[in-house]
Amino acid sequence: MTTDEKNNIKSVMVMKKIREGFTYFEGGCGTILQAAGLKPGELPETWNITHGDVIEKMHSDYIKAGANILKTNTFGGNILKFPADDPKMPLDVIIASAVNHARNAIEKTEKDPAVGKDHYVALDIGPLGHLLKPLGDMEFERAYEIFKATVDAGIKAGVDLILVETMTDIYEAKAAVLAAKESGLPVVLTTAYDESHKLLTGADPCTVVAVAEGLGVDCIGVNCSLGPDQMMEIVDELVKYASVPVAVNPNAGLPRTENGRTVFDVTPEDFAGSMVKIASKGARVLGGCCGTTPDHIAAMINAVKEMTPVPLTEKNDTFITSYTRSVRFGGKPVLIGERINPTGKKRFKQALREHDIDHILQVGMDEQDNHADVLDVNVGLPEIDEVAMMCEVVSALQAITDLPLQIDTTDPVAMEKALRLYNGKPMINSVNGKEEVMEQVFPLAAKYGGLVVALTIDEEGIPKTAEGRLEIAKKIYAKAAEYGIRKKNIIIDPLAMSISAEPDSALVTLEALKRIHDELGGLTSLGVSNISFGLPCREIVNSIFFTQAMNNGLSAAIMNPASTEMMKAYYAFCALNMQDENCMSFIGFAEEYKAAEDEKAAKLAAGGGAVSGGKKAQVKKSSLYESIEDERKLPLVDCIVKGMKDRAGALTEELLNEGMDSLEIIDGALIPALDIVGRGFEKKTMFLPQLLMSAESASAAFAVIRGTLKKSGDEGQIKGRIILATVKGDIHDIGKNIVKVLLENYGYEVLDLGKDVPPELIVETAVAEDIKLVGLSALMTTTVPSMEETIKQLQEKKSDTLVMVGGAVMTQEYADMIGADHYSKDAMGSVRYAEKVFEVS
Amino acid sequence: MEHPVLIYIPAVDELEIKVQEVTRYLGYGGNPAEGEDLKLIERKIAEVKKIMAPKACYARYRIDNDEEKCVLTFPYGETKSKVLSKHLSGCDEVFIFAATIGAVFDRMLQRARFLSMSETAVMQAVGAAAVETVCDSVNEMLEQKVTEESKYLRARFSPGYGDFELANQRGIFSVLNPAKHAGITLMDTMIMAPEKSVTAVIGISDRPGKNGYG
Repeated sequence: MTTDEKNNIKSVMVMKKIREGFTYFEGGCGTILQAAGLKPGELPETWNITHGDVIEKMHSDYIKAGANILKTNTFGGNILKFPADDPKMPLDVIIASAVNHARNAIEKTEKDPAVGKDHYVALDIGPLGHLLKPLGDMEFERAYEIFKATVDAGIKAGVDLILVETMTDIYEAKAAVLAAKESGLPVVLTTAYDESHKLLTGADPCTVVAVAEGLGVDCIGVNCSLGPDQMMEIVDELVKYASVPVAVNPNAGLPRTENGRTVFDVTPEDFAGSMVKIASKGARVLGGCCGTTPDHIAAMINAVKEMTPVPLTEKNDTFITSYTRSVRFGGKPVLIGERINPTGKKRFKQALREHDIDHILQVGMDEQDNHADVLDVNVGLPEIDEVAMMCEVVSALQAITDLPLQIDTTDPVAMEKALRLYNGKPMINSVNGKEEVMEQVFPLAAKYGGLVVALTIDEEGIPKTAEGRLEIAKKIYAKAAEYGIRKKNIIIDPLAMSISAEPDSALVTLEALKRIHDELGGLTSLGVSNISFGLPCREIVNSIFFTQAMNNGLSAAIMNPASTEMMKAYYAFCALNMQDENCMSFIGFAEEYKAAEDEKAAKLAAGGGAVSGGKKAQVKKSSLYESIEDERKLPLVDCIVKGMKDRAGALTEELLNEGMDSLEIIDGALIPALDIVGRGFEKKTMFLPQLLMSAESASAAFAVIRGTLKKSGDEGQIKGRIILATVKGDIHDIGKNIVKVLLENYGYEVLDLGKDVPPELIVETAVAEDIKLVGLSALMTTTVPSMEETIKQLQEKKSDTLVMVGGAVMTQEYADMIGADHYSKDAMGSVRYAEKVFEVS
Repeated sequence: MEHPVLIYIPAVDELEIKVQEVTRYLGYGGNPAEGEDLKLIERKIAEVKKIMAPKACYARYRIDNDEEKCVLTFPYGETKSKVLSKHLSGCDEVFIFAATIGAVFDRMLQRARFLSMSETAVMQAVGAAAVETVCDSVNEMLEQKVTEESKYLRARFSPGYGDFELANQRGIFSVLNPAKHAGITLMDTMIMAPEKSVTAVIGISDRPGKNGYG
């Protein structure tokens, strides 16, 4: 037998052992090394080389205490700290020596027959100490590569399993688990929760379990951060949701100092007592983390070993997740917003073509505000690069919404990239009964996890009968099982077809829904609105069909959450079917509904525009407004100056209805109002929030006017086009966004290149668009060099472009030093400079 | 000699984010907020308090302060700073701490941009004021500790103040490991993530000193 074969067998044996009974991890390492003289700031992994004897003894002590799984001293062993080309301590050497110490300890200790032979070496992988984008600066793929290097070194050194531990961000955990799973070895994932029982980035245990099982981890658990008694509820949750075995490695409480020494407040005896409770809850892989010692582990094993472990059970609840929370299927119907999709939407297509990501995000935000549970994401257009767009939109959406996403594409490359990048367990839209499609989609679903939407269509087309659709559903379930995908992770879409084309189509679909639910025990989903294609007043048909479908067991609907008729049906159905405790959701909906109706009625009563119900609010003629001669404009001016954006649009509409010319409103009310605030800001009698609230109120007014201008074909004049960007390395863009709002209000078109923008992109855009003025912002002194570089490149490639700079650390001196044409000390400064550059009086 | 890194978690209820602190960050220069902007500030304070997850870690270290050469020796190495050397005059020990209001705030800020920039700007300022309250709470807790030993604290001093170079962040992160203890990470640009995080050095002295800077 070769060494490889022996290792492979060990990796099978360890999982067998875990599934059969209790298995024990080692306890803490850091505290032991500190006690042996590890200095602050010294990397513990270097001790594999410098103090091998200490490491080996630690492992031996844990084996003697009864531990089965040794954790290599490689928690921070990655190429960030130990580059592969480091002459003294390259990563390979660090990891090989760590594994050797564990192996040596096993070999020597096992000579004592009393110790037994049941010992395994786990490659220990901790977090990288960087947050992933969008919170931090590390790309997901970069994190994956770093973990991959550690995993590769571990495999080379011959470990039996991989322990990914102390993860506080589910996204980083995903990168590590993906790399670890590719080794073919068993993977244990334990995460560190805080006092609110959530990860640092917000995920709760249910979410962590859903994501981890989707990625195929073999054992899931919790470690570090808390003592065993504070972990009880977390263990309850893990055991409730996990089908795989649960591991628990607590700290010995919290550290404190006593006469200059670190002590942990949980003694071995107390620790053992708590671990008995944890074992009786259903955890079966037990060990310790910071502050626990061989004594803790020995006491624990002594207390637990005679217990019978709680049997493992398959859990049948279906969850999908975002980075922070889960949505459950099979109870209350789940609403999947369908609006992020170009089909039949001119504005959305334009956004895709023009790379207007903000518009796409706004559509998603609106769906969330309208109470969608999940967002479908479809960005396919023949003339764009769908793969790149899908990645960009998924990344941008998951930065701002905590709703799970449904990845909707027929392009397998876009599908795989999006599933990889996705921060959580998504829905996958879709597979169907065609062999070719199943062979394409199921391997992806098996690798990355996800709830797969399965359409009941195959090579023969869509069956005309419910029976035919059930047959395809069964075929899909069977094929999925071959890939290890359980029925709970398939959601069948029995397809709603237009009743105007096929009169019995609704009835067939409803029957199929009911039978999939009753006979197959499966989840179902429908694109509800297809049912009314070709009919007038579609919402009426859609909402009734939606109600019928829910009544037949529909688990999820792909629909437009902005449709009041659909939402009425949904909230009433949930309230009637005991899926809305105390009717609270319905009552919340009813309040929003009534408010919207009241607003409509008020508008009608006022003859189509006014908010004041015909009666004009009186505005005191203060000295502030002395430049406003036309009294009719005063309410709008006052409203913009005070920053009441809800009213600004309505008041503008009122003036338009009274017959006032739109240009007169702009020149006589909006611009003077903005100037009043702008001057107030410069004189320090008004401040940033007021400046911005006024700008937003003016934007609301402009939006109304633009609507009218569009109708008349005259869209107004642009004063100039300006590039804005936060420079490379800088991910803070609030200052830039403030400047953008103001410049747009003053009539400039802003090409917003975003944050962390490389100099090359800024220069390219300036050249391609022939831009006269570029605004750059930087928050930190450390990113000023990239500002300087951008200016240098601009001067070389497009010397007639002017550059204004701003940002927290920027000063006139700095600006001069790096060759900027102008330094703006605040947002108004940018407006004033733009006026000068574009010679606006 | 051990240098244990300890964790401190202040209770959110005990942290008070003051309107006037927020307006200070927004450049009001002592002027009060009123009307719509006051309402907005108050609303954002309530929102931030709901999602903030304050956490800090700290450790106590011996230092060497060569006041003539203005060279300080921290456990991570030497650094030259005239201002800090003077500020830590008479201190042979320091606390180094890292504090944060957590990562959920960052998400909220990202999202706010799609609602409105005025809300975003105010939220940003509220976040800054919030992490200061966490630092104040850390300060108070440490003050109590040293008072028991009849010692005194100097005002906290962060990398980037005066000539105390931002590059000291690297050293502080190497000894304190705030990523592990408080979920605070350092980016290549020396900016921390989560965004509302602070690191600082606090001098410990046998003698009371002025609690200001310089």
